[in-house]
Amino acid sequence: MTLLRLELSKTLNQKRTYIGWVGLVLVPVIVVAAGSLQKPRPQAPGEPPFVAHVSQNGLLVMLSVLIALAAFLLPIIAAMGGASSVASEAETGTLKTWLTRPVSRAAVLLTKWAMAVLYALAGAALVAVVSLIAGVLAFGLHPLVTLSGTTMGVQQALALIGLAYLLVVAGAVCSLSIAFFISTLTDSSLTAATIAIAVFTVLTILNAFSVFDFMKPYTYSTYRLAFLNLFRFPIYWPPIRQALVNYGVTTALLLLAAWAVFSRKDILT
Amino acid sequence: MADHKQPPASTPPGVCRGRLAEESAGGADSPAPRACDDRPVVLSTHGLTKRFGKLVAVDHLDLAVCRGDVFGFLGPNGAGKTTTIRMIFGLIFPTSGYAEVAGHRVPGERVAALRHLGGFVEVPAFYPNMSARRNLRLIGSAGGDASEGRITEVLDTVGLLTRGDSRVGGYSHGMKQRLGIANALLNSPDVIILDEPTSGLDPQGMKDVRELVRELGKVGTTVFLSSHLLHEIEQVCNRAVIINRGRTVVEGPVATLRPRDEAVKVMTGDQQKAFETARALFGAQGVSWDEGYLVVRAGDEGVPELVRRLVADGVAVRAVVPAVEQGLEEFFLGLTQSSDADGGRGEPAGRRARQPCAAWAASSSRSSFNGAPTSAGRVCWPCRC
Repeated sequence: MTLLRLELSKTLNQKRTYIGWVGLVLVPVIVVAAGSLQKPRPQAPGEPPFVAHVSQNGLLVMLSVLIALAAFLLPIIAAMGGASSVASEAETGTLKTWLTRPVSRAAVLLTKWAMAVLYALAGAALVAVVSLIAGVLAFGLHPLVTLSGTTMGVQQALALIGLAYLLVVAGAVCSLSIAFFISTLTDSSLTAATIAIAVFTVLTILNAFSVFDFMKPYTYSTYRLAFLNLFRFPIYWPPIRQALVNYGVTTALLLLAAWAVFSRKDILT
Repeated sequence: MADHKQPPASTPPGVCRGRLAEESAGGADSPAPRACDDRPVVLSTHGLTKRFGKLVAVDHLDLAVCRGDVFGFLGPNGAGKTTTIRMIFGLIFPTSGYAEVAGHRVPGERVAALRHLGGFVEVPAFYPNMSARRNLRLIGSAGGDASEGRITEVLDTVGLLTRGDSRVGGYSHGMKQRLGIANALLNSPDVIILDEPTSGLDPQGMKDVRELVRELGKVGTTVFLSSHLLHEIEQVCNRAVIINRGRTVVEGPVATLRPRDEAVKVMTGDQQKAFETARALFGAQGVSWDEGYLVVRAGDEGVPELVRRLVADGVAVRAVVPAVEQGLEEFFLGLTQSSDADGGRGEPAGRRARQPCAAWAASSSRSSFNGAPTSAGRVCWPCRC
């Protein structure tokens, strides 16, 4: 716990922490601006739900932003966080400083991972709050029309949207863990982040082609929009359950791999 | 100054015999060299070995640092000093052997060992965008307890108290080194390891850091100081080991590390006659020429006898001065180069380097350094560790 507090204090002292968050906060600002400028129109074929009607309800800003986050921005930001945790400290030499302290390598590794997760989580929470405020100010707060055409109250909608944010963060943690694992292999945080983002992008492209459908249940990228099933009536749970199992297994395997590397690694830099 | 007469061939002191026995037994479980008399050993390595592929960076290294030592860890660049230190900290894993800090083995009981250890490897690294105080607070509370009072204390010790609240990013190299020492001291460990703390510093910075280490030694802090500068070790340490190619070359108290050259330069009215006299006294090997001077290896007690004889023989003695002492750096170079040369021939060399003086003297390859006739026994470690 002490270690986590130290990590937190360190993270909050870095400029790039805030740059990432500012990048995330820009998304709701853009969505609100676009919503204000565009006229309400029917949903285009292939377009994700909610986006077309964003100007009708402040809550839709939260959901539109979440779709953008899930598809692209959060995995990248999370990968950056995961990559910087071990490799960037190796780059500056401070990893050595930590490991000459009487703390176990397992604790160091787990804390750094937890900190990266916390960072992604905080980013998502920040975006949620900014989206809510901006959305309500711009478009008001109205009951949410579900994908099934039914209506749910604001309170229930907010609870489900919160859940959806958590689910998206859990997906981003997979990207984060890939970056994290690679950051134990390399001393370059840029390499780790690049590989993690490349993996996510390649998986997304694979998911787009039906020939690779056999892979779909196993790739975490498959489930990036699974949270939309929360907004059906009744809620359609199976894809959400699958997503959680997939995220859990993916993350656990990557963490084990990271530990296998880090526990025996010769720290030279 | 202690007497540096080498022990007779037949009776190497017990310590040395013990070391030899232990070497022939070899292996990772060899006991620490008993160099500390009644002081406890706080840091030791036992058959410590590290290979990087084909390269043997550290080769069955046995060290023992006693409580209160300021222990010099000396060797040229690439000798394996930093690799050894990394293994002691548990940053890298030994191929075989282990280190021991206050009774805890590394890597096996790394965390327990690190509670008794402070210091840095290579360059001390901190977060540049935080103040020194904040860095110490952050790093010091990982697995330890860093009170504000203690932080102030160590900052004061290293002379950074007034700059404690400025960003480390704005620190000079010397200040960072001193902050590294402050960080090493923070949790009051049993022993601190400083890896070339004066490297890259200007002369004033070097002087400051050496002064600091000397002060630490005075108040009883056990310091393990690595350096490639012999005179630095001599200035601040009480005991030292010289390593090369990952193996011990010589080891023991620093007071006896400096090669003592008892040769004198003699100028007389009749140098040729003086030469005959000296040769009769000390043999052909004990006498040589240097720019008109007669260089006589008379030893401390031989000089009065030489002068007496010269006077008796009617030679006018004009000057008897100590021969210029062999430079320390040359001595160091000679030691490490000759162990380099042996390194090519394989295993026995490192062992031979640690043999008692008599055996050493018998080894012809060691009878001279840089072409200067040197008494082999003086280069050999006197085995009174």
